Amino acid sequence: MQQKESVVAQTPPSPRIWGWIEPCAAVFMGAFAAALGRAQLGATPARSVIFGALFGLFFWWGCSKRADSPGAGLVWGLGFSALMWLLIPAGTVRLLNGTQHSIMLSDARARFPALVGHLILLGMPLGITLGIFGAVRSPGPKQTFHWGRAIVVGGLAGTLSGLVFSRWMYEGRFYPLLAGIPEVSSRSEMAAFHFLVALLIGASFGLLFQTGVRGLGSSMGWGLGFGIFWWFFGPLTLFPLLSGNGIDWSADKGTALFGSLIGHIIYGLILGVIYAGIDRAWVRLFIQSDPLNRQPEGPGVHILQSLGWGALAGLVGGVAASPVLLATGVLPRVAGLGSGFPGVTGLIIHLATSAVIGMTYGLLFRNEGSSLSAGVPWGCVFGLIWWYLGPMTMVPLIFTGEADWRANAASALLPLLIGQLFYGAVTATIFLLLERRYQGWLLLDPRNSAREQLRMRPVGTPAPALWFFALCLGMLLPILLG
Amino acid sequence: MRSGVDHLRKGWDKAGWYSKAMNQMRRSIRRTSIGILAGGLASPALAFTIGPWNLGLLFGIALGGIYAASLRPASRAYADNLMAGAALSIPLWSLISVVALPIFAGQAPAWSAEGIRAHFPALMGWVLYGAIFGVINQGMSDWATTLWGPEAEPSTATPAPITRIVILGGGFAGMKTAQCLEELLKSDISMHITLVSETNALLFTPMLAEVAGSSLEPSHISAPLRSSLRRTEFVRARTAGIDLEKRFVLLEGITPGAALAESREIPYDQLVLALGAVPNYPGMPKVEELAFNFKSLIDAIRIRNHVIEMFERADREPDAARRVPLLTFVVAGGGFAGVELAGALNDFAHGILADYPHLRRDEVRVVLVHAHDRILPELSESLGHYARTKMEERGVEFRLNARLTDARPGIIVLNEGEIRSETLVWTAGTTPSPIIKALNVEKDKHGAVKVNAYLAISSQACVWALGDCAAVTDAKSGKPCPPTAQFALREAVTLASNVAAHLAGRPMKTFHFDSLGALCVIGHQTACAELTVPFARTRAVRFSGLLAWLMWRGIYLSKLPGLERKIRVLFDWIVELFFPRDIVQTIDLK
Repeated sequence: MQQKESVVAQTPPSPRIWGWIEPCAAVFMGAFAAALGRAQLGATPARSVIFGALFGLFFWWGCSKRADSPGAGLVWGLGFSALMWLLIPAGTVRLLNGTQHSIMLSDARARFPALVGHLILLGMPLGITLGIFGAVRSPGPKQTFHWGRAIVVGGLAGTLSGLVFSRWMYEGRFYPLLAGIPEVSSRSEMAAFHFLVALLIGASFGLLFQTGVRGLGSSMGWGLGFGIFWWFFGPLTLFPLLSGNGIDWSADKGTALFGSLIGHIIYGLILGVIYAGIDRAWVRLFIQSDPLNRQPEGPGVHILQSLGWGALAGLVGGVAASPVLLATGVLPRVAGLGSGFPGVTGLIIHLATSAVIGMTYGLLFRNEGSSLSAGVPWGCVFGLIWWYLGPMTMVPLIFTGEADWRANAASALLPLLIGQLFYGAVTATIFLLLERRYQGWLLLDPRNSAREQLRMRPVGTPAPALWFFALCLGMLLPILLG
Repeated sequence: MRSGVDHLRKGWDKAGWYSKAMNQMRRSIRRTSIGILAGGLASPALAFTIGPWNLGLLFGIALGGIYAASLRPASRAYADNLMAGAALSIPLWSLISVVALPIFAGQAPAWSAEGIRAHFPALMGWVLYGAIFGVINQGMSDWATTLWGPEAEPSTATPAPITRIVILGGGFAGMKTAQCLEELLKSDISMHITLVSETNALLFTPMLAEVAGSSLEPSHISAPLRSSLRRTEFVRARTAGIDLEKRFVLLEGITPGAALAESREIPYDQLVLALGAVPNYPGMPKVEELAFNFKSLIDAIRIRNHVIEMFERADREPDAARRVPLLTFVVAGGGFAGVELAGALNDFAHGILADYPHLRRDEVRVVLVHAHDRILPELSESLGHYARTKMEERGVEFRLNARLTDARPGIIVLNEGEIRSETLVWTAGTTPSPIIKALNVEKDKHGAVKVNAYLAISSQACVWALGDCAAVTDAKSGKPCPPTAQFALREAVTLASNVAAHLAGRPMKTFHFDSLGALCVIGHQTACAELTVPFARTRAVRFSGLLAWLMWRGIYLSKLPGLERKIRVLFDWIVELFFPRDIVQTIDLK
């Protein structure tokens, strides 16, 4: 034991050295990456280097303390780089240049390669590097990381999630995770490669985010973000490189690969939920069920409360979203049930569906938002998830047997996304109010206070960066590429 | 007026409420002011992109205030606020720029992909606003901390409660009163609720006969009081006395021999009497000595074990005459409890015959003794007749207009003869708890405490009563309310509401409730039901047979407290469909 303590005490190097190494590494890496991708960033070499160095410096200054693991660093890096792209090349610079509002969208579309460059060349390497530094340097107690659990659970979840596409793989020779790779003649080779990639993504998910994900809902959020990231990294970048084709980061290529993006998002969502499901099941079956760890309310009570509050919150969310949707005449489509249920019947079905979806929010996102400023973004992420899962995938699958994942189909469903975001925000708000009301009682007993605090997501996790990355790109990509 | 405010403030101060509210207000003002200022500074991004500049400015300021007020600030969380602000700006863009602003401008919202794309520049403005606001708000919050110190933290000290509400009795009435008070008082720490009960669980009495009949596991029909109540202090003890003058309740321990050591006094400001009733054996000490009660879970367990014991002894008994008292089971009382128990025992006794090959079916007798000419007086005559006919078909014997006068070992004496039986279960009468008898308050002829229309004891301030120990009169009809669980639950709702209203100085409600009807199981998959028609309370619908039995099970399963218990009971019922009833003898506590 003493030996262990001495090892731990000797491991972190002097903070003074780290104080210099980290910003220097960030500046150097930013400058180098920007120089490497100057063509995609659309700037002269000198400007690219300066921009990259400044990017690295600002990222280190703003996010280095938050990037305490490679996974956290990656999420902060992706969120920061997406924000920088939106604010600088696509937004502020255009606004200050006096670019006409009417051409800003086409201008942003033209700068799609810069978006990929920001994410892949700047955000990803800087985030992971500072995350590694952070993991080595961070003092204080940290959550225990289990390599074996991360790889096994992540790999298993990844492979199981890959099975979702098996029908399309065999019937339509559609391999969403392998977009960008020239198809080989053997179907079995493609299938094997598909599962290899699925395993790789799943294992990397476990390795990167084991300590970040807390519940099923946040894990789905992480899966959503990771799916989007892998689309940029895999089909748009890595696979063309591996197959010897040149990298094409144009918006047209993005539009062509839009179906793969949806595939990656759906894969990420399923990966997230299976990963957290296996992880939670382990905790529930073998740890929480131990009488020594018994809590005043068992898991059954928690689940029931979450379902009840979620149903009520979802119902209110559905009611709140109804006027907007009625005014625009798309109410039946919000429930994703086609146009066969007009009038009051459509409204009832919409409300019933809202309540059921609200129940899933209760189950997935309880204890994620401790305040409105945290609960509402999770609600919006939930709305976005349901847009990809519901109108984009499940509803067409149920009614037609096929899911249309083309950019045009996503573009046509954009109005529903507005409704889903609104629904998610209201549902999260009502759920938070119900949760708080109950906690008012619970916290009267001091024994419960510490436990409830532990359940809540603390400040400092990469959740805000994930909200922005997922909401921004989840919404922006159908707008840009549709 | 001023003294009233001072009094209120003093009361609040005592509970810590005043300082808590002031701290909360200070925090809100500080956060909102910072948010408004930060929103104002960030709003040019909106003013530049979403149309009339003054509208952008207004949105920027208002949303800044709202966001900051809902945020729990953390020190130097610049990156978090940068991202959170930018993330929240995306749904705000979709709600305000895409939907709300066109509607307020009298136009249809841009409800198409192209229409949404036309608002792309506004999205830039919103994200810019959100990001800038997040950073400025954090900076100003940190600056405020440097200038004025950190925000006042919510007090963690728990002030002493100023009002103590004590509920005596953990039956339907007491438990429901505690639950309703918890709902009404929410997290008000100035109120302290205590529930005193001799048992630590609420017994769901409608299913008690099924425990005696070995259909259900005993613990499955009891809900633990400690787990069911969130903020009520539970005390398992016997009430030894109540001092209405000094306002305290004297408790004694349940453990035999430890009464003195466990004695304690509990002071109260509001006292709720929900002590229920106990079996009453008027002038029949021998009957009291020999008969089984049928009020508690232990009573039901004892009856079940005793029946099995009788079968075991009868199986070893070669003399047919000596087997008669062993296999004769007498239930005294033809009300709901007696009829349901007789039906359950009849099914149980005949069902387990298969395990006792030396006993014949015609040797087993279940006899119901009732002092009147028809059973189930709470139901209509036709249903009473139906119940009797059905039960007779299933083998139950009836001795109507027969009064039980005495009992000796192996003999039960009626006014019209004797029955040879080793088993007598008494369900024929109850009387309010002995503690009530000792109280110096007005009572009715049965010994129940008289309460007014608000369920308060008129002669004693701050003392309330309900359930079987109280003589409650319906405020609308003027009729006495029956001592049933259905009425006790409704009385509890009114009483809790009145206690809360009394404490808050609000007007109280009078008690009125129209019975919903009654259900009674009389044997295997057979029941009687008489339900009041909604909105026409004078009319009733009658069911019998399988439909009524299904209704009984459905309704009472839904009323059983706790999902866990519901699931367990449901499983017991399903198991019963496929497997014989259990004849394992458990420990007899008598």
